Amino acid sequence: MGRRRQQYAPASPNAVSTSSSPDFQKAYCRAQRDPYFYKILKVHMNFEKRVEGNAKIFRHGGVCGFGPTVGYSVVAINHVVEFKEKKQEIEKPVAVSELFTTFPIVQRATSSRVRLYDIVAVFPKTEKLFHVACTHLDVDLVCITVAEKLPFYFKRPPINVAIDRGVGFELVYSPAIKDSTMRRYTISNALNLMQVCKGKNVIISSAAERPLEIRGPYDVANLGLLFGLSESDAKAAVSTNCRAVLLHGEARKTAFGIISTVKKPRTSEVDDDSLPACKKAKCES
Amino acid sequence: MPAPAATYERIVYKNPSEHHYMKVHLEFQDHGIGLNAAQFKQLLISALKDLFGEVDAALPLDILTYEEKTLSAILRICSSGLVKLWSSMTLLGSYKGKKCAFRVIQVSPFLLALSGNSRELALN
Repeated sequence: MGRRRQQYAPASPNAVSTSSSPDFQKAYCRAQRDPYFYKILKVHMNFEKRVEGNAKIFRHGGVCGFGPTVGYSVVAINHVVEFKEKKQEIEKPVAVSELFTTFPIVQRATSSRVRLYDIVAVFPKTEKLFHVACTHLDVDLVCITVAEKLPFYFKRPPINVAIDRGVGFELVYSPAIKDSTMRRYTISNALNLMQVCKGKNVIISSAAERPLEIRGPYDVANLGLLFGLSESDAKAAVSTNCRAVLLHGEARKTAFGIISTVKKPRTSEVDDDSLPACKKAKCES
Repeated sequence: MPAPAATYERIVYKNPSEHHYMKVHLEFQDHGIGLNAAQFKQLLISALKDLFGEVDAALPLDILTYEEKTLSAILRICSSGLVKLWSSMTLLGSYKGKKCAFRVIQVSPFLLALSGNSRELALN
């Protein structure tokens, strides 16, 4: 049976929106029941230094809460880490229960704490890194820079390898909203990418820092047409390809997508003697 | 006796509608900013001009209804210009220095379709 859906006003910047706010829960449930395509929204959160402060601003800004009101069913929170020295400790992601329940988190670096994240993305700035990221690195997404002229040209072989592996290419559109030079770079870099990859495995996301920078899923699919995608590819860039990346991220945690380990709560002393589950499976096979 | 030759005429309608209609809502970050209809149209044309240039800013665009209180409008654009208008509205970031965003609520080649939203049907 259908239910009359109400329009929700977006959270105003002064309103405090906590994870348990009823508006957000209702909006989120409504978005999940949407029979139309799965829409995934990526939101940018700058975590460089003031982790606690930013998390609060993020929550109060209501960006995540805004996603479902515009028509998205899944929201991804972006945790950007910039590498200044060679060895840098990546902060643990803010516990998801602190922000919202069960949201995937995107991290832009490789480290041992990568297992805590659902999707891992890499932002290569040189040709060599791009080649390595497409062919060898264990990542789900390769981000294409839009803020500057491409420092290298795309070559077909590494991109074909990446498409075969299931690695997605990510384009961001919120700089295009702010500045006109960024628009030119975004569109020209996107067109460059499309010429080589023929529109496969591309996802378009917003690196929105404020709720106003988010655009609805159909709007973004229309932007895909501007970037040189075909109509079906543009719609897939907001829906099917994003889901594929999420599943790729899940499969990355398992052993070849077949076996996954789950932590069991320790109930008795007997558990200490037995081998961990993954080793058991290996011995038995 | 051979049957008389039949004549056939095949008519193919690819898109019988020349115009597309959009229901849009302009949202500002601060409240209390008003625009009259002329300023709204000027905003749309300048958005088109910024992204596509003079030629596409001259697309035949009409505002069929406009409500100043809610800043929502129904627009009509020729079908070939739909993608251009829609993308220029998506990429519009600010008006006179104030941050704003266009929320497109409905798009349809038929004006009657804008009167009801099938996602809000109450099925009983």
